Amino acid sequence: MKTAKELGLGLCPKCHKVNTMHTEPMQCVRCHGWFYQRNRNSLQYTLAWNIAALLAFIPANLYPIMIIYSLGIGDESTILSGIGQFIDQGLYPIAVIIFTASIIVPLIKIIGLFVLVYKVHTGVRLKPTKHSKIYYMLEFLGPWSMLDVFVVALLVAVVELGFVTSVAAGPAINYFTMTVIFTMIAANSFDPRLLWDKKLKQQNRHAESKGI
Amino acid sequence: MNQLSNNHDIVACHLCDAVFDKPQLKQGQSAKCHRCGSTLVERKVDSINRSFYWSIAGIVLLIPAILLPIMGVTLAKQYHNASLLDCILVLIDRGFFMIATLVFLFAIAVPIVRLFGAFYIAISFKYQRLSSSMLTFFRAYHHLGHWAMLNVFMLGIIVSMYKLIDDTELSVNLGLLSLILWLICTTMASITLDQDYIWETLEQEFTHEDS
Repeated sequence: MKTAKELGLGLCPKCHKVNTMHTEPMQCVRCHGWFYQRNRNSLQYTLAWNIAALLAFIPANLYPIMIIYSLGIGDESTILSGIGQFIDQGLYPIAVIIFTASIIVPLIKIIGLFVLVYKVHTGVRLKPTKHSKIYYMLEFLGPWSMLDVFVVALLVAVVELGFVTSVAAGPAINYFTMTVIFTMIAANSFDPRLLWDKKLKQQNRHAESKGI
Repeated sequence: MNQLSNNHDIVACHLCDAVFDKPQLKQGQSAKCHRCGSTLVERKVDSINRSFYWSIAGIVLLIPAILLPIMGVTLAKQYHNASLLDCILVLIDRGFFMIATLVFLFAIAVPIVRLFGAFYIAISFKYQRLSSSMLTFFRAYHHLGHWAMLNVFMLGIIVSMYKLIDDTELSVNLGLLSLILWLICTTMASITLDQDYIWETLEQEFTHEDS
């Protein structure tokens, strides 16, 4: 099995047309978009966006995400304390959904991308089949962490009964959306084909050293 | 290599870069990559017509989905309801510009642009009115794919309903129904669009113009 890179070909990421790479970047003959054979500086970009996401995730958990005013008295809650309230009320399914969407998914995405970057860079115990599946899953999970932001936005809009009750968004919501958007950009800039390239390089080196 | 000069008869996997001969597929079939198992090429059944009708349905539902109230709350004899548009206006009114922008972009603007995009592409293929600007247009259409989050917004509605149902008297309005239908229509309109077929037709159209 040959890869397109070995044959001097490149796949256009937009229209999936196989082009012969004359220059880098190359203009696709079919959709006229510019592209590189591999995403340019893929690992650096992924790492940088990922660190930014991790940094934004800290204030997102420390500051209150939602403030509920009832009769003029404000009640602040962070992401975790909001989940705690659900558990107190016995609404376990919702607590699980919110916990998954706003704590587990962002963390899994950040850690997962760090691991993938590390694996591509060092090539330690690299299993491309498994790791490209992990990447595919991370990319799919991306937008679902926006759930908490949408919930707060809806509550602010719907529960607006003047002095009796109203809901306001806390500062954490901005940091949280930053986390989600940064992880999405990080996942987009990672190129899964680098996993296979690295594996192929290792195999070739292995074969050479055996041959000698 | 001369046999690769035009690259018409090969495809490459976009996840692992393996090269294959181009499979000849019938409608409804799809080819998977040997190495990593992702989908290489797919031929969708009756793609243009289906996408056309789904996007028409979506455009019809657009106005009620955005303007009709989604849900209302009654507490201490006060009633308040909100539609998708109200939601954004209230957020702007109270100074949460960032969430207002996000909700507007991900739950309204991107789905609308994608819906009209699918409609435009389907109608120009149905009536054979292809122009070279379609190339740029379709490329931009694909860029937006990641950022349509109407399905996440729908889960958000369900979660916030759960949250409200305990403390307040919650009423569900027609807006929710039309929003659900609209979500189905926008998703189906973009799912049924067969991108391999569209790119190949555009390519043929374009190379004819050149020669």
